[in-house]
Amino acid sequence: MTRHFARWAVLLLVGLSTAVAFGQMAIPPKGDVLIKNATLLTVTHGRVEHGSVYVKDGKIAAFGATVNAPAGVTVIDAGGKYVTPGIIDSHSHMALDNDINEATSPVVPHMMMRDAFVYDDKQIYRALAGGVTSALLLHGSADMIGGQAVVIKTKYGMEKEQMIFPGAPQSIKFASGENPKRVFGGKGTLPSTRMGNFAVQRQALLDAKEYMKDWDEYNAKVAKGDKDAKAPKRDLKLEALADVLRGKMLVQIHCYRADELLTEMAMAKEFGYKVRAFHHALEAYKVADKLAENGVAIATFSDWWGYKYEAWDAIPWNAVIAMRKGVKVAIKSDSDDFIRRLNQEAAKTMRYGGATEDEAMKMITLNPAWIVGIDDKVGSIDVGKDGDLVLWSDYPLSSFAVPDKVWIDGVEFFDRSKTGLGMPQMKEAQ
Amino acid sequence: MNSFQFPVSSFRLMALCAAMIAMMPMVGLAQKKPAAKAAAHEPAATVIRGGKCLTVSHGTIENCAVVIEGTKITYVGGASGAKAPAGAAIVDATGMTVYPGLIDSETHLGLTEIEADPMTNDLIEKSDEIMPHMHVYDAFHAESALIPVTRLNGVTNAIVAPANGDTLPGQDIFIQLDGREQPDFIVLRDNALPLNFTGEQRRNESFERAKYPQTKMGMAAQLRQTFIETQEYMKKLDDWSKKSDADKAKGSEPKRDLKYEALVPYLEGKKPVVLAAETGSDIDTAVALAQEFKLRFVLNHITHSQKVLDRIAALKVPVIVGPIYEMPYDYERYDAVYSLPAELAKRGVKVAFASYDAHQSRNLPYAAGFSVAFGLPHDEALRALTLTPAEIWGVADQLGSLDTGKTANVVVANGDPLDVKTDVKHVFIAGREIPLESRQTRLRDQYWTK
Repeated sequence: MTRHFARWAVLLLVGLSTAVAFGQMAIPPKGDVLIKNATLLTVTHGRVEHGSVYVKDGKIAAFGATVNAPAGVTVIDAGGKYVTPGIIDSHSHMALDNDINEATSPVVPHMMMRDAFVYDDKQIYRALAGGVTSALLLHGSADMIGGQAVVIKTKYGMEKEQMIFPGAPQSIKFASGENPKRVFGGKGTLPSTRMGNFAVQRQALLDAKEYMKDWDEYNAKVAKGDKDAKAPKRDLKLEALADVLRGKMLVQIHCYRADELLTEMAMAKEFGYKVRAFHHALEAYKVADKLAENGVAIATFSDWWGYKYEAWDAIPWNAVIAMRKGVKVAIKSDSDDFIRRLNQEAAKTMRYGGATEDEAMKMITLNPAWIVGIDDKVGSIDVGKDGDLVLWSDYPLSSFAVPDKVWIDGVEFFDRSKTGLGMPQMKEAQ
Repeated sequence: MNSFQFPVSSFRLMALCAAMIAMMPMVGLAQKKPAAKAAAHEPAATVIRGGKCLTVSHGTIENCAVVIEGTKITYVGGASGAKAPAGAAIVDATGMTVYPGLIDSETHLGLTEIEADPMTNDLIEKSDEIMPHMHVYDAFHAESALIPVTRLNGVTNAIVAPANGDTLPGQDIFIQLDGREQPDFIVLRDNALPLNFTGEQRRNESFERAKYPQTKMGMAAQLRQTFIETQEYMKKLDDWSKKSDADKAKGSEPKRDLKYEALVPYLEGKKPVVLAAETGSDIDTAVALAQEFKLRFVLNHITHSQKVLDRIAALKVPVIVGPIYEMPYDYERYDAVYSLPAELAKRGVKVAFASYDAHQSRNLPYAAGFSVAFGLPHDEALRALTLTPAEIWGVADQLGSLDTGKTANVVVANGDPLDVKTDVKHVFIAGREIPLESRQTRLRDQYWTK
């Protein structure tokens, strides 16, 4: 009884401090909810008709045809409508105040997108209303080696630190092809060609290797008790790249052309790091077997093409061809517009190449979660995963669906039927 | 293909006549216009049988048949009542939907190939804001790789307009997405005049580099000045035409001015002006200007207009709405733009959709589908891609529905025309079955070895 009381007291305190901090909001960090009478698209266990999902303390505690939940829990009757895990976007530049390219040098791995993150940007709300619950916010593609990404949950209305995805691994953005050569070539500096691009990248990695060696030697000396060992000078840029070489970062590479996909994989092999995913990867279908061999995923568009020369060979069958050859495929937005309707973009893969329902859903949930390194926490309806769920007005893999409600960590963040923004937790007119 | 392969040799003559008529300059909307152009090959007869016909004009017919002879639809009705012409190709449409070809009410097809490569772009002449004498047909590249990509999704006709960076960027063409040579694609030339009043036409790049018109006031003043000068030009021409031969011999004929000349049919109210404005205040200003000069107009690019929907409805003009994907302003709810087609339709406004794009023109039907999610009735959404645009562009006697006598622009697909999952299986344009091939399918087939 005393312990129970203590728990409530803590919750109350959290609630109060939240209310004091933002005045108009009273958003609990974790919630409990039972959604019943739903068609669950679980992603990992197929469909469950007339299913329920119970979220306790922000985590999925149970799901299936019959679910036991304690009396008193908030019950949502889905009326047979579809419930999916929250959508995950593995490539977004939203809420960064357009501050995404430190294009003063082609190698800037020490730029932290977290420092540019505008947590109260209305765009986060618009993504949320489109069913997106987590997103990887990336550096732009002006630089060969750009900055370090930040993973967020779209808990619009909360404080910055509450929106940052807890425990997500650090991703870094590389780029290749037309953008770096245009940006730096345009200034009359290196690189202005693909030769220049890769020379810049290789030199940076060589420098990092040296740096890592110096620090490894120093640390070995210290470990042996050498009190006179002199620490090398710290360099944030090389430190970040050394972490790439140490395998501490997920390497996300903006890359279009087939030959460049191969070159990037060869360079990764040469320096001993792994590429987590190629982004855009519009020519992945030409070398999909090689991508599969190397265990590299892709985060691609469904049907964007023709906006520049390296997007000229893009075809809408890219995602499914790559998938059939064994590549993990995500459909991503790279756009403040498309992030609002990624479900439709995923549905296009059913038409172009015949992806199944599970495969199409996976491209906007579990696969992007894997690319971001959070697939143990989100991306499917599974016991123990975060209670990030979307209730849809219609079949989500169609033109006709729009989220009716969105929960994050079991807390209802969006309800279309509500007036104003449709955000039940926000008290003001918004 | 040789002509002797076709049972009725007069098709060739018909097609030629149609092409010749279509190439004659179009004067006035009242004039009968042929909406079908000669196809690349003379079509044989086709019977599409067993599908569900979404006629648009007269409801849905289950287990229907559509008979195509030459460039025309000659039968729409129950499958049992259809007579197959001798030698007709039979398309089994069991389990499929059959619907009229979709019409995109603003594209840049044929004006761009690779967006980032200037040499492949003829989107807009930005050297001046008043460019009504720019004719899209002078730049339209019928061999664009984008056209086959687009028609594979059932888009068979489109308005091609210049980009919207000028207030008066030039005159549109209305095309069909098939033909042998460039003129075959062009159904109507100079059929409409875009008038853009969205703010992007301001020359206000920076304070140092700003030039007239730097503001919307400047845009309005410049347009008003232009229209007044055109009226004066018209008067001068009129005065001259009324002169006796003797007087004409004494004077000299007024000098031709291509700019003013281009504007004459619009100031006479003979052709429609496509008035683009987004916000309530811009709509008010642009409409007042149009009314001052008695322009015939349709509204275009309506996106941030929630506050003036009743005023728009009172104008009793059709509205090309969207793009619905335009981002809402920060003070607007997330669905402020998505819900506009439904809100307008609710007020009795006839709406049409446009892709406002070239590469993504193929995704036109999905905007209509998404509008259904926000309350637009499904049949009105389909109408907004077919019969309503046909009416707006003055070709409803030829296009926009499955009806006997209309041009055979017909699509057969395995599902709802508005759904992203639906795969288009057959496309007929002016009676010719279009091969389901594009640059993209060829790349797919080259690399997709199983």
